[in-house]
Amino acid sequence: MIDSDSVKNLAGHPFDRRDFLKVLGWGGAAAALSGCGNTSIEDGKETVVSYVEAKDYVIPGVAVYFNSTCAQCDAGCSITGKIREGRVLKLEGNPESPINKGKLCGLGQAAVQHHYNPDRVREPLLRKGDKGEAISWEKAYALINEKLAGVKGEEIALLSGDVSGHQKVLLGNYMDSLGSKNHFVYEAVSPAVVRAANLKFYGVEMPRYRIDKAKVVLSFGADFLGTWVSPVHFAQQYAAFRKGVDGQRGVLIQAESKMTLTGANADRWLAVRPGTEGILALGIINALGVSTGDVAELVKDYDKARVSRDTGVEPSNIDKIAALLKLRSPSLVLAGGAAEGYVHGMQNAAAINLLNQVLGNVGKTIEAPVSVPFPQMAPSKGRTAALKDLNDGLAAGKYKVLFNVATNPVFTAPASYKFRDNMAKAGFKVAFAHYLDETALQADLVLPLDSEMEDWGTHVPEYLADTVQINIQQPLMERLHANTRGMGDILLALVKQRRAEEYKAFDDYYGYLRSAVLQNKAALGGAGSDDDTFWNDTLSNGIVKLSGASGALSLKVDVSGLKLPAPKEIDEQYPMNLIPAVTSNLRDGRHTNQPWIQESPDPLTTIVWDSWVEMHPKMALQLGIVEGDIVKVTSKTGSVSAQVYLFPGIYPDAVSIPIGRGHDAMGRYAKGYGVNPFEIMDAVFESATGELAMHETRVNITKTGQRVIVVKDEGPAGGRQMGRKIAARVSTDQVDLSKEV
Amino acid sequence: MHRYLCFPAILAGFLMAVGCYAATDQQPTLTTEDDLGPQVQQPIEFPHYRHAGNRNTVDLTNSDPTKGGMEINCQYCHTYARRSLTAGIPPLQKCVGCHQNIPSVRDKPRIVELFKYWDAKKAIPWKKVHDLPDFVRFNHERHIKRFIEQQGRPVQEVCGYCHGQVKEMTTARRQKPITMGWCVSCHMKEHVVVVANKDGIPEGGTPLGKQAYWYTFQKPAETKNAAGELTAKGPNDCWLCHK
Ligand code: SF4
Repeated sequence: MIDSDSVKNLAGHPFDRRDFLKVLGWGGAAAALSGCGNTSIEDGKETVVSYVEAKDYVIPGVAVYFNSTCAQCDAGCSITGKIREGRVLKLEGNPESPINKGKLCGLGQAAVQHHYNPDRVREPLLRKGDKGEAISWEKAYALINEKLAGVKGEEIALLSGDVSGHQKVLLGNYMDSLGSKNHFVYEAVSPAVVRAANLKFYGVEMPRYRIDKAKVVLSFGADFLGTWVSPVHFAQQYAAFRKGVDGQRGVLIQAESKMTLTGANADRWLAVRPGTEGILALGIINALGVSTGDVAELVKDYDKARVSRDTGVEPSNIDKIAALLKLRSPSLVLAGGAAEGYVHGMQNAAAINLLNQVLGNVGKTIEAPVSVPFPQMAPSKGRTAALKDLNDGLAAGKYKVLFNVATNPVFTAPASYKFRDNMAKAGFKVAFAHYLDETALQADLVLPLDSEMEDWGTHVPEYLADTVQINIQQPLMERLHANTRGMGDILLALVKQRRAEEYKAFDDYYGYLRSAVLQNKAALGGAGSDDDTFWNDTLSNGIVKLSGASGALSLKVDVSGLKLPAPKEIDEQYPMNLIPAVTSNLRDGRHTNQPWIQESPDPLTTIVWDSWVEMHPKMALQLGIVEGDIVKVTSKTGSVSAQVYLFPGIYPDAVSIPIGRGHDAMGRYAKGYGVNPFEIMDAVFESATGELAMHETRVNITKTGQRVIVVKDEGPAGGRQMGRKIAARVSTDQVDLSKEV
Repeated sequence: MHRYLCFPAILAGFLMAVGCYAATDQQPTLTTEDDLGPQVQQPIEFPHYRHAGNRNTVDLTNSDPTKGGMEINCQYCHTYARRSLTAGIPPLQKCVGCHQNIPSVRDKPRIVELFKYWDAKKAIPWKKVHDLPDFVRFNHERHIKRFIEQQGRPVQEVCGYCHGQVKEMTTARRQKPITMGWCVSCHMKEHVVVVANKDGIPEGGTPLGKQAYWYTFQKPAETKNAAGELTAKGPNDCWLCHK
């Protein structure tokens, strides 16, 4: 061993550590002052551009805040953007909004990466063979006008996502001016079946749910903390629910075939055989034993033994749930995406809603929504059936001109639709797009849209937490790219081509919006204030709150036509159920190109930047699969290959692949990461509503022989953690380490 | 010893040769040694001395540039410094605000240039003279609060701690090293604490307890200097600059 003395001797000189440091320090100091230390300081190289004329409130280095609306999903959370030196830096929730009360979800936070995304389309592009040629807006508008000449109204179709507010009015007027009624409102992930069931059982499509008032919440696959309807709002209700009503902490039971974020938070999580959610609901009604008449008649066959056999839920659990629901009232039963994604989805949702009626929750934890006083601005909600209709029309060659407003059906339509091919049958396809996504790439003319942080707009959310609110969207900063335009401005320009006289007073969408709002000043709560004050207040609040009348819910119970099929026999060739999972980060995949979305770990699997096949460890054992195996998932429609992730939170007969990845376009952060389950989804439809039954696809799994290490946050890679028991406690002197390793 | 010294010595020597220090036998002091930055070419050769320089004491109305300046307060143009992290460059509007009323210099080449930018409503692409690495967050406002507002020291003196005698320059040139060691050298000094008023609150200061320095978590140890005045060091929490 070398001690400090020998070091000194080695040096042949008394030389201590201090001296050595001094010497080093010398070199270091010189470096810091003259060479390396200053290299990141570039005096005289960077440009500091001052303002030409500065607004009074602008102080470089001090942020200003503007209110606007999050457009990442349709929940309609209000945002406050932090802007410094004319650049939006960070979004927060606007505390004044009853929907999100100052909070924002991760997807909302990532919106700045939508705005600053380097892959945004920047110029109007006209197809020239395989290439897009940049053209001017004037030319683009003229081209649209030219292509519409001689085309009949019924030969024009327009596809959009959820739309509300003044944009909806303008869109409607444009379609009207073209004489077309073919506005297809499409969302790839939407609770359309639940809406239909709600209408039947409560008399409204989307009632107000009061998780915060419930003492027990029984959710059938409604991921209300992650993806369902208005997740930020429900998360806050959930916090109140957990704090408890009358000192009783709320109990959450989640019944679903694949664990969602909400399921992971539940007190009791029940794995249900895919598609039997309705049977379980009827079984619980039976176990409650309180119903009479029609309802009793309906559930009489659903005894515990049968329900347990059908659903895979133990009889004791059915008893416990029934007992809990009896003990604690009011409760709330929710039907979510997992229950509605079957041919009998409507029946499932109806059975679940019936349970609410039986428990007497309607009117207590399910309240009537307020109605929007301007029905023309109320949201048009997207349905998957709309895409089917459009696709059928396209396949039949019915449409000559197709407008697509920032939706991406080529990515989200099941492969068997052959949407890409059918789209080609429309002679002239215009895509209003932020990115060259799969659908925009098929268009003849791509018109680049402003980001939500550059554009004007009004939105009326479907799920209103309190009063009616009209959310204002306003630019948080100037356009990043000179040649993008707001959808409102484009619509105004287009409608002017047809109805110039009617719209001649408006130079731009801003002017249109301002005058439309001011015209209704009194109705919007601005009676008595002058125009400028009211308008400025409206913009600075970011929300216009109105009182709307709430209707009444129907309490009539009508069980006619409620009939649940027995669980499906196992198909020899395709023995497993495919559950396309909607995750809180990715949703339907329209934001996959925001790197924060890609890199924030999935809440349940912690996987980033890639897809996975979620599989129960038992099933994996049976098939001889270990975590990280690349497997081929094959359905009648097609196959995809991805890494296996073993997860006990899934019904053993099911596998799950998240929706949203697997883009083959849409820019550098989306293209080529993961697989797209829509590619293997069978085109099967819900029987009552015609919605796509997303959970009906059956698949089989084969090993490809390849294996990767799953990159994840938890446990050692390769699934060695799985199946391990927590070691029994042994006092330290008795531990035999040789056995432990 | 030679072998051990060899490498650092070569390194130090090399760096000094490359850097702007002349190699001397003495260790350079890290305190207030002036360290001239490069002479930066600006789009308009702005004469600081004309605006901020001392007046011609003999003839106060003399507008001959070689004879004197106008003693304009630094903060008149760099108005953001007292309100923000960054001092900011005055908006063009500010220059023009005065100069459109000063016909006597209107045809001078620099002013002609200035109005060219103004007429085109184009920002002047000034070059940054004092650049800090991105991981350093220097706050102008705090220093101005501390020295100008609390201690009532003259503005030009306070700005000069870091920027040197700008009032004698045309376009500014960096006068100090503006390195961490240099910053810290000042923060390590025992500064006289502002006298507290009868309520124990330092005059003009933020009343946060009895802290002499209120921008830090820890109250710095107070000592008395030879004159019996209460002194304390500047804040030295890492996070103050490295957020
Ligand atoms: S739920 Fe999230 S993404 Fe949707 S509007 Fe609210 S913050 Fe935006």
